[in-house]
This record gives sequence, C-alpha cells and structure tokens, in this order.
Amino acid sequence: MDFNWSEEQRDYRARVQDFLKRELPSNWGELSRHGPGSREQTEFSLEFCPKLAEAGLLVPHWPSEWGGAERPAWEHFILGEEMWAAGEPRGAQYMNVNWIGPTLMRFGSEEQKRRYIPQMAAGKAIWCQGFSEPNAGSDLAKLRTRAVRDGDDYVINGSKIWTSYAAMAEHCFLLARTGDAVGKAGIAIFLVPMSTPGIEVRGIPSLIGHGDIHETFFTDVRVPASARLGEEGEAWSIISYSLANERVGIPRYELAARVLTSMVSELKERGRFDDSVIHARAGSASAACEAARLLVYRIVDARSRGENLGVEASLARIAVAEAEQAVTNFGLDFLSDAFSSDTHPEYLAHHERAIVTSIAAGAAEIQLGLIARQWLDLPREAS
Amino acid sequence: MRFVPNEDQAAFLTVLDQMIEPHRSWHVSPDWSRHDWSTELDGALEASGFYDCAAEESLGLPAAAIMTYRLASLPVLVESAASSMVRALFASDLPRPVAVIDGRVDSITPYLPVARSVIRIGNDGVYSAVLPEGAVKEVESIFAYPMGVLATDGLDWQHVEADSAVIRDAWRVGLAAEMAGCLKGGLDAVVTHVRDRHQFGRPLGSFQSIQHRLAGASVKIEGAYWLALRAAQRLGTAEPALALGYVQESSTQIVYDLHQFMGAMGLTLEHPLHRWTYRTRLMRSFLGGASMNLGEGATARWRAA
Repeated sequence: MDFNWSEEQRDYRARVQDFLKRELPSNWGELSRHGPGSREQTEFSLEFCPKLAEAGLLVPHWPSEWGGAERPAWEHFILGEEMWAAGEPRGAQYMNVNWIGPTLMRFGSEEQKRRYIPQMAAGKAIWCQGFSEPNAGSDLAKLRTRAVRDGDDYVINGSKIWTSYAAMAEHCFLLARTGDAVGKAGIAIFLVPMSTPGIEVRGIPSLIGHGDIHETFFTDVRVPASARLGEEGEAWSIISYSLANERVGIPRYELAARVLTSMVSELKERGRFDDSVIHARAGSASAACEAARLLVYRIVDARSRGENLGVEASLARIAVAEAEQAVTNFGLDFLSDAFSSDTHPEYLAHHERAIVTSIAAGAAEIQLGLIARQWLDLPREAS
Repeated sequence: MRFVPNEDQAAFLTVLDQMIEPHRSWHVSPDWSRHDWSTELDGALEASGFYDCAAEESLGLPAAAIMTYRLASLPVLVESAASSMVRALFASDLPRPVAVIDGRVDSITPYLPVARSVIRIGNDGVYSAVLPEGAVKEVESIFAYPMGVLATDGLDWQHVEADSAVIRDAWRVGLAAEMAGCLKGGLDAVVTHVRDRHQFGRPLGSFQSIQHRLAGASVKIEGAYWLALRAAQRLGTAEPALALGYVQESSTQIVYDLHQFMGAMGLTLEHPLHRWTYRTRLMRSFLGGASMNLGEGATARWRAA
C-alpha cells in the first residue's frame, strides 16, 4: 500500500504541465471562460488536440493498435487532472478519450473502429451524447426516440435534450428504441453523423456556460444499419460500461482543490484568513476534495491492475459532487464578490461545473440507489 | 500509488481476520454493561505482536490503521489505536493496554480502567507513565468504553522523546481509523436490520428514504477510511488533522441516521448499536473536535500558500 506518486508519475505530470504552459495561448483564461462546450473552446480543441496527439499525450492509455502507447491508467488520470484543472483545453474531445473511444474499441464493428477511432486518436473528432429526452432523464429506459428498420437502413424519429456539445459535434452517440420491447431491453445505440438530413439542433441558454445544453430533433433521419453499435437491445449493457467510465472520467476534485487553494490565497491577500470559522470551512472543503480524490484513485488503481470496479464509481461520484459543492459554497460564503468580477474567472467556471455534477451522468439520487442495492445489498424498492 | 496491501500486509490482515472472526457475533453483557471488553482477543493480538506492526517496515502505520478500523467494527472492544499507532512508534516499552489523555490530566478517559499505562498529549509535550495498582478510579459512563479518571497525581511521568506534533498526528490517525471502523460496524448492523425487518409489508431497506441515507453514510465512511490510511503514511502534514476532522464532522449525521433506522431496538442495551455509536459520539470531541481539527488541517495545508 503506497499513496505517494512514483518518480516516473511525477515526471509525467511535469511533462503535461510543461506542455500546457507552452501550448495554451496568453488569452486562454478569456477563451476558456465559457466552458468546454463553447464554440471558442471547441474550435481551439481542434488545434490543440492534434498537438497533444503528436506529443503522445492525447490517448496514452489506449492500445497501440489505436494510436495509444499502452501507458498505465494512472497516466491517463494525471493527464486528465491537469487538463481539467487548466479549463479542459480538449473541449468535448475528453469524452472520446475517456469513454466513447474505449466503448467503440470494445463493442464496435471493425468498420466502426476503423472509421471513427483514428480520428479520435488524432484529436480531430467532436462527438455528442444523445441520451436524455424530455420525458426520459433519470429514467432513461423510458426514452421514446425510435429507430425503425427499413431495409438496410434505420429511420430515426424523436428528440433529445440537454445534449452537451451538439451544436459543434460531427457525430452523435445516440440511444434509440427499436422493436417492441419495453424498457432497457428495447434500446440500441447508433453512431449518427450530425450532418445527416433531418437533424436540427437548438441551443438552450443555461447556468453552466455557453454551448453546453441543446435540444436535438431527429425527423426521418435515415442511417445505414451499419451505424448501429452492438445488437438491438444491447445498449443498456454497453452504456453501463460507458457510464462507469464517465462517472469518474473527469477529475473534478482536482479543479475543486485548486480553486479552493486560490480562494484561500485570495482570503489571505484580503487579510481574512485569520478566522477560525473560515479555517474550519476551508479544512472541511479540503478534506471533502481529498476523500473524493481517494475514492476515484481507488478505481484508477484497480484499472491499473486490470480490474474493473463497478458501483465504486457511484460512491466516488457522490463524494466528488459533495466536494465540489463544498468548495463552491465556501467561495460563495466568503468571496461572493469574486463571482461577479473578472479577477478570478476560475471561481465562476468551477461553480458552473459543480452544479452539473450531481445531475449529469446519472443524478446523485440514481447513484445513491445504485449504492444501496449494489454496495449495501438492500432490496429494490417495490413498484 | 497502490491501494492494495503488499504481500506482508495481506498476510498480516489474513491472520488478523482469522483471529477476529469468532468475535463478530454479539452478546448482551451479563451486567448490561455499555461495552464488551474482550480480554481474550486483546491479549491474543498482543501475544502475537499485532499491536507492534507499525514498527515493521513492510507493514507500517497503514497496516496498523487497517487493523484499528477492522477491530473497531467488532461488537467487542479491544484497545488498538493508542497501542498500534502511538505506543508502537514512540513508546514501545510501555505496557499495554494504553489510555491516552487528551488535555487535562484529570479528564475522564476511555480505557483507563483496563490500561496498564497512560500517554498524555498536552500543549507542553507528550508524557507517558506506567499505571500502578489503584491509580485509576472507574467512572460510570454512557460512552461504550471502560471510562476512568486518574486517582493519583503522583505518577512517574516520562517525557516522550519525539516531535509532539507527529505523535499527535499518529493519535489523530488512530482516532480517525477507530471512528471509521465504529461507523462501519454500526452501518453493517443497521443494514442487516433494515434488510430483515418488514413494515408496511416490505423490508425497511426497500424504502428510498432509508436507502439514500445509508448510501450517503457509506460514501462518507469509505472516504474516511481512505483518508485515514493515506494520513497514516503522511504524519507531519495537514492530512492527519483533515482525516480526523472529516470523520468527526461526518459522524454526526451518520450516527443520527443509524439510530433512526434501528428504531426502538437501537435504544435498548440488547442490541449492540450503541457500542459503536457511543464510542463515535465520544471521539467526535477528541483533540478539539471537527472544527478544530479541520481548522488545523487548513492552516497546515496553506501555511505557506
């Protein structure tokens, strides 16, 4: 048991930090202030990610067959920590790295792998995730978007909502219902080019940055059957794998911990870090960040040994959401003016990320239910 | 970074688990005592050298912290935190069990009635003394420990020659591990209860209002466990204070929920829930309590920031 970084891991982190220092433009703070889903940041990612790929820092943990270097899971997380803490210059492409690419590698046809993965590994692919619908958010198995088989094609009709990155995405990882089976059994995944006729995207102004939330409408969208990922009815088992990756894919605790340090420095500058109440609150938020970090690291450690933990991702997700809330509440309580000025854009950026965490990728209450049933082995609630 | 025990730690924990297995079931104390002190288990672990594990390079304080956590989750009581975290590293000649006095020398202190030595952590340093016969007066208490107070001011106090801040940190880690273990023991008991007990025609544990709060408790306890283990490797940093503060802060809601879901059964001395929760309720105040420890952790973390 050892909780310290190895020298090799420290060197790797330093390498990533050097890369960021070298490659992020002087106006990065301004450019990134509207979040990873914004048009500015998405466009930047299409310049930045190819450079990352060139330096071997985009998909280091992927198999060499798909452009990776088979590096340990820890390096993927060190990379993710530095990227997220820097404001995520990979934009939406972090999803490719964390879960869309690995999901295609595991479940995709040879044609799908060859068609999509090289673009992801080159840092040139923007995807969005078409999961939630107006009447199917937490209860995702109730989704209604339907794909009807028509010869060698499927014709898709329906709508998605709260779709991140949809306005800029070239492809959508789409869930749609096929056949007559109800619930989870009737869902399939489609890899849909967003340029396909019949797709309309509308942005929704939000609390969480520009370009993060959209409505996406599918009207008689025709895709070939080869666009289906896996078999009909297999979607649930595939996305369970994908979401376990996504739930801990973003090292949110790292940004929270760094923003907390920035807040403490600001309070020191203002001569206010001499108050026992503020000390205790800062300590509480810091402890929450570190607890979240360790619960995520436990999963990374298991992955590094070839194990794939399941419900542990839900425990980590709750801890991360609590840590982010603790940090943003600390800032709002003691530095509220800084959320309305340009002096510390990272406070607002972190706040905008923090209020998403307990809702996206399965709401906190969904995670708590999973923990109750799978970690504590409590009986399912009677219907 | 490696979250699984090394070979020696794994072997150590396997034998530990074999030794504690017979003590997982619980019994009502004949005299309705609030605690169930196990001379048998405590003595067996001492005789086998378990409490000295922190001094072994391949085992270290993380092994001692895991042992303390696992022992604290049992319904029987042994003394581990002080012996395996503080005594083993800084005062290995002291006879055990060991009681730790935090603050005033006349404090009512857990383990004193069964202790053979005492360590006092004060602002002026850390001191130890062997307890002669009659040095302790037992005190009746709601807290699920043998509680006592020193009955003499004539102890032969010896200064412990080590950095008192580091000793305090080791004690913090011991307390954090013991608190996390107590909460885990209580949680396991309550989870068993809500699986088995039916009301309104279904198990209590199928109600979402109960599931979510117990799931939330699990997250906190897991966080507390790993914070304690990492802090065990990082004495002299902010981490021991943050680890103790975290579990102290979290314990209030968890203890409330555990008793809430155990209902009236948890109010009796027939069920052992109180053995875990009332130890937790006492430790919540140790070394100044959550606010003090979290505050000290924060000042240590950002001293130079």
